Amino acid sequence: MPNIKLEMKVIYLAIILLFSVFLVLPMLALFYRSFQTTKGLELSNYINVLANGELLTAFMNSIKVSGLTAVISTVLAFMIAYALHCTNIQHQYKSIIKVGILIPMLLPTITYGFAIMYSFGNQGLITQLLGQPLFNIYGFNGLLLGYTIYTLPAAFLIINNSFMYIDKRFMVVSKLMLDGTWRSFFHTILRPLTGAIGGAFVLSFILSFTDYGIPASIGGTYSVVSTQLYQVMLGSIPNFSHGAVIAILMLIPALFGVFLLQYLERFNFHYDKITEIEMVEHKGRDISFALFASIVLIGMLSVFLVMFIAPFLTSFPYNLTFTWNHLINVFQSNDLIGVYKNSLIVALFTTIFGILIAYSSAIINARTKIKGKGAFDIVSMITNTLPGMVLGLSYLLLFNNSSLKGTFIIIIVCNIVHYYTTPYLMAKNSLSKMNPSWETTGGLLGDSWFKTIYRVILPNSWGTVIEMFSYYFINAMVTISGIIFLVSAQTSLVSSKIKELQHFAKFNDIFVLSLLIFFTNLLIKLFCDYLQKRRSLKNI
Amino acid sequence: MLKLENISKKYHNKSVLENIDLEIQAGEIVSLLGQSGSGKTTLLNIILGLTKMDSGKIYYENEDLTNVKMKDRGFNIVFQDYALFPHLNAYENIVYGLKNKKSTDSKKELKEYIDFLELGPHLDKKISQLSGGQKQRVALARTLVMKPRILLLDEPLSALDGVIKESIKERIKSIAKQYQLTTIIVTHDPEEALTLSDKILIINQGHVSQFGTPHEIIHEPNNEFVKEFILKQLHIKRQNIFHLFGEQYA
Repeated sequence: MPNIKLEMKVIYLAIILLFSVFLVLPMLALFYRSFQTTKGLELSNYINVLANGELLTAFMNSIKVSGLTAVISTVLAFMIAYALHCTNIQHQYKSIIKVGILIPMLLPTITYGFAIMYSFGNQGLITQLLGQPLFNIYGFNGLLLGYTIYTLPAAFLIINNSFMYIDKRFMVVSKLMLDGTWRSFFHTILRPLTGAIGGAFVLSFILSFTDYGIPASIGGTYSVVSTQLYQVMLGSIPNFSHGAVIAILMLIPALFGVFLLQYLERFNFHYDKITEIEMVEHKGRDISFALFASIVLIGMLSVFLVMFIAPFLTSFPYNLTFTWNHLINVFQSNDLIGVYKNSLIVALFTTIFGILIAYSSAIINARTKIKGKGAFDIVSMITNTLPGMVLGLSYLLLFNNSSLKGTFIIIIVCNIVHYYTTPYLMAKNSLSKMNPSWETTGGLLGDSWFKTIYRVILPNSWGTVIEMFSYYFINAMVTISGIIFLVSAQTSLVSSKIKELQHFAKFNDIFVLSLLIFFTNLLIKLFCDYLQKRRSLKNI
Repeated sequence: MLKLENISKKYHNKSVLENIDLEIQAGEIVSLLGQSGSGKTTLLNIILGLTKMDSGKIYYENEDLTNVKMKDRGFNIVFQDYALFPHLNAYENIVYGLKNKKSTDSKKELKEYIDFLELGPHLDKKISQLSGGQKQRVALARTLVMKPRILLLDEPLSALDGVIKESIKERIKSIAKQYQLTTIIVTHDPEEALTLSDKILIINQGHVSQFGTPHEIIHEPNNEFVKEFILKQLHIKRQNIFHLFGEQYA
């Protein structure tokens, strides 16, 4: 590693300053506010909130529905990952499953709720096809379905990723040692995946527990923590101190979850080598898993089907004649096109500056000897814990009287901090794997530190930068929980606009806006995949 | 006696093995020697029963094993970097298979294997605390307690260095002798193959290039491939060693 240079120190201090102002201070403000009363600092806010049965009910509701969601998502994700790694299902079909299951990630969660209503509601598409409503969608059932669709892709990514790093030769060893099916399954699959399965469970739980979009659209009278928080902050009688208390309470399960994740880390296996083997032929197994994966995938995607149909019909489900009118209306409405443009601006700037900050801090951490570089690991742990709503709320409390209020800047910064963990870890992983003497070599050949980074480090981590790009962009496009407290009339985004349109029952506009987000994200995703592919072809 | 007849295998229409015939006598050590991509590992996997062949027959003691499943063939393998279960310690790895095999006198035999492989002091260690040579011996013990009819070794020496390599070589020879165990070894290293085995099967691009004793291969190479790629390496090594010690040690 190169010696410490002035430019490294400057970058280090700049990023530390940024996180001090936009992460540490807001959190302190939040804590302070939760204890603040007219009589000074005391516990009465907590006592008042906890004495209120409504919040306690909401809290228990949240735990119940999130817990069940986490179980279902984890089991489904595991079975689908198993289908991809331990069967001889056709290669092309496996690719379809792998891509298809991630599709919900391209949409804001608030859209899920409306898609569920239009599919399973009394007049819904799927209800019409089946002849009768399957279940009452408002409240518990709708939340469970929505959360499951929301968390399944994330749970799948974790388990699928760990599956890739399982040494499949152990299945051969186990078979040669005459293991029965269950003993073999335990020692070669379940035990090596324990960490990942636990991780998927915890993540699904936290995501559901802290999501705002789904309960906002389909929660009905079934109250959960996030809707309580919204009501207390932006309802008819706002109470910031109580909001701060609820935010702190919301933080607790998330905090607990992150510690659990750290603990589960221990169960992860480190194989010396990863080998693929041919799976034993077993038609019955292949067919049943293919069938299972198809049912999950079709079930999940069919919920969104209505989104692609309803806006092109005059008045779904009553007047089913085809029309472009809804689409044209949206494009003629300055208001709606305006929020779409806002979303694009926010996503673009979030992505550019987010990559800059995450990548720079990863370089400082992975490739310099600066004292205190571990601070970024701590930052990434904190941002991993923080639900978007809590972060947004703390910004509202701290910056309410500043000139940042109601600007794009505060939304962009909030997104960058909110989604910092994953891009930072992506960059750190890839940078720490590179040969540690490149900077020294570059220096000996006459390059400055910046020049080596530009000429050597960056070109060798383009793949990671592209991944960071699509992660930041797509998340900035779909987030609602992070920004719901920060948008103003001028800086309204698509996801918050959808929330507003709900009050006027303008479902066609909601779906057209959702489609806009969907296709924008799809385009970005395909573009990033294309760049990755071109890169890997070039390298061969 | 293990007998292979006319074995062929294709992957995606590309031929990997073509018409392989081979006879291995009981208690023999045979090496499958070839460069990477030659098809030697595929042949090993076919014998093991892990990979299906497209055509051909396998017999063991005149019993047709062609359509017998891997776990019913009674063969066993030690993989290149041992594939020891990382969540179990050395002892738990060694007895892993015994839990599936109820036999009465296994306690005494187990101790014999552990003593023979000098594993006594290492039984409580985690896999990550073992050295390469110790891992190799644990893996051998785990496989031997299953009393395989044939022992397969996939590149058993490639992960080991210097002196350990030579001692494991001796160990493999003594196992074959002590237990009259037919042993098949895959390797890409001519020196290893020729100093370790009774017979060597040289494979080149899916074909048998030569099958014979070390003596036959050194003195009667069948073709250019054996001369160019197998013998030449050994000649260069010999030259280098002579240079170091002086010609009088020839």
